[in-house]
Amino acid sequence: MLKKPATWHRRHDVPWLIAFVLPAFFIVVAVQFYPLAYSAVLAAQEWTLTKSQEPEGFVGLDNFVEELGDETFRRSVRNSVLITGGAVILEMILGVCLAYLTMGSSWRMRAVRTLLILPMVIAPVAAGTLWRILLNYRAGLVNHLLGLIGVQGPEWLASPDWALVSVILLDTWQWTPFVLLVAGAAIASIPGDLLEVAAIDGASRWKTFLYIELPLLTPLLLLTLVFRMLESLLSLDSIYSLTFGGPGYSTYTMTFYIYTQGLRNFNFGAAAASSWIFMAFASVSIALVFWFQRKDW
Amino acid sequence: MRRRKSFKQRIYSVIHGIVLAVACLVVIVPLGYLIINSIKLPREFLTIPPTILPTEVTFEHYQDLIDDKKTVRYFQNSLTVAVWTTGVTILTGTLAAYGLARMRLSAKILALVTFIFLFIRFYPRVTTVIPFFLVMRQFDLLDTVWAIIIGQLGITIPFVTWLMLVVFQDLPSEIEEAAVVDGASVWQRFSRVVLPIVMPSVSAAAILTAFLSWNEFLIASSVARRKASVLSIAVASFVSDKGIQWGPMAAMSVVMIVPMIVFALFAQKYLIRGITFGAVKG
Repeated sequence: MLKKPATWHRRHDVPWLIAFVLPAFFIVVAVQFYPLAYSAVLAAQEWTLTKSQEPEGFVGLDNFVEELGDETFRRSVRNSVLITGGAVILEMILGVCLAYLTMGSSWRMRAVRTLLILPMVIAPVAAGTLWRILLNYRAGLVNHLLGLIGVQGPEWLASPDWALVSVILLDTWQWTPFVLLVAGAAIASIPGDLLEVAAIDGASRWKTFLYIELPLLTPLLLLTLVFRMLESLLSLDSIYSLTFGGPGYSTYTMTFYIYTQGLRNFNFGAAAASSWIFMAFASVSIALVFWFQRKDW
Repeated sequence: MRRRKSFKQRIYSVIHGIVLAVACLVVIVPLGYLIINSIKLPREFLTIPPTILPTEVTFEHYQDLIDDKKTVRYFQNSLTVAVWTTGVTILTGTLAAYGLARMRLSAKILALVTFIFLFIRFYPRVTTVIPFFLVMRQFDLLDTVWAIIIGQLGITIPFVTWLMLVVFQDLPSEIEEAAVVDGASVWQRFSRVVLPIVMPSVSAAAILTAFLSWNEFLIASSVARRKASVLSIAVASFVSDKGIQWGPMAAMSVVMIVPMIVFALFAQKYLIRGITFGAVKG
């Protein structure tokens, strides 16, 4: 009896294909999903490593209740909202503007684009250090330049409010290029004849943008916005090296708070509980990204 | 004959040029200032007004870094971690992506797989850092480069698998059909027919992995603070542990930044494709 070669191969292939997937699968389960489950268990335990080598017993939802009432936790949530909100809005506006200004394939525009994306490839830790030097009150370049135009620069990193602004500035400096890249690709993919028709009909540049381009760009811009929002919320490195949460708790973000709870205070139960509160929010956003990516607009 | 620009157009192009020049300066000046700081004499750091351009150039901060055995080891550790992470990730990630792409999974299962990739890319990683720390403690791997490598693999493998899955799915099936008729096994088809074609994408994935690994801080700082420490931790530690040593801090940052800028200049297309992956297709 003859089998159809294609079917035969397909069935014969399956064990091989599974074997191809397995190594990656095992690593991901061991390094991502096992710790994730472990973390859920920790969230319901009382455990501070400095007090005890073993978990100190099951406490149910106590950690969650405690964290939600904790003042530093609340302040971290507020800071996260301010920093991420401020930075992402600035990045979207600047990124889209720059994307329009750097359109084109002349060598000059390509050089400008190459230059403008550089902040994105710098390690966030190093970017934080760099801005720490720039924003130094006495010897920093920023205040020196402000001085040249007669403005007395603030104590960027020493005042609670300006420290928040500094973190927003850093995030914007480093990640506006991301929006520039994504928006640039999206703008380039808008069919040219659509714009020509609009021009022939006498639409102004601004109206063309508002009524033709913006609606076409909206899905991708929303996706980019959620992307940036998540990455900004989750980032630890740049805050670590720029302000280290300070002065006081004034630039503690969710991520920074959880990190210090877990790996400085070694209060594993509290850190796990607050990270699951954070997770609930992140999951909704991730679902949103998923939906944006699959939806046909 | 070339049409002469109207007054309005000329004004526009002048403003356009100015805005772009300012944007470029905002990028270049901080980076330049960092490099200048790394070659400035210590006594010129806290003068008022600040010395913007140093009167004298010194390489003592770099010399100090080279003389310091610790720094050299951080650099070596960073390299070791990046090489191992990239190697293992490309090997397992590319294979897994090929496996997934050729399994003829139903649309629903593929959607689930995509969701899992997306989730791993974006969930608060700080959630798993503490349990991961405890697991590494159990296996007695704390403060070794292996702990960092294993931790980073959990991020990079799903990312590369996802990236390559899209590449394999877009590959026309005729390419492999001839090989099937000739009786080639899956492995032969993968290694001799498909792999040579997708090599550019594999390079893109490799560059991206090396980039992520080199810049990674969260995992490294949670499992390896002392002897297995890497550059990202060393750069960050100038803040908390040592007061402020401007020169060494700047020099160390330069050492960390420069390789990635070189990457960005020479492999720009690949790096961008990786960084914007998920937001822009292809």
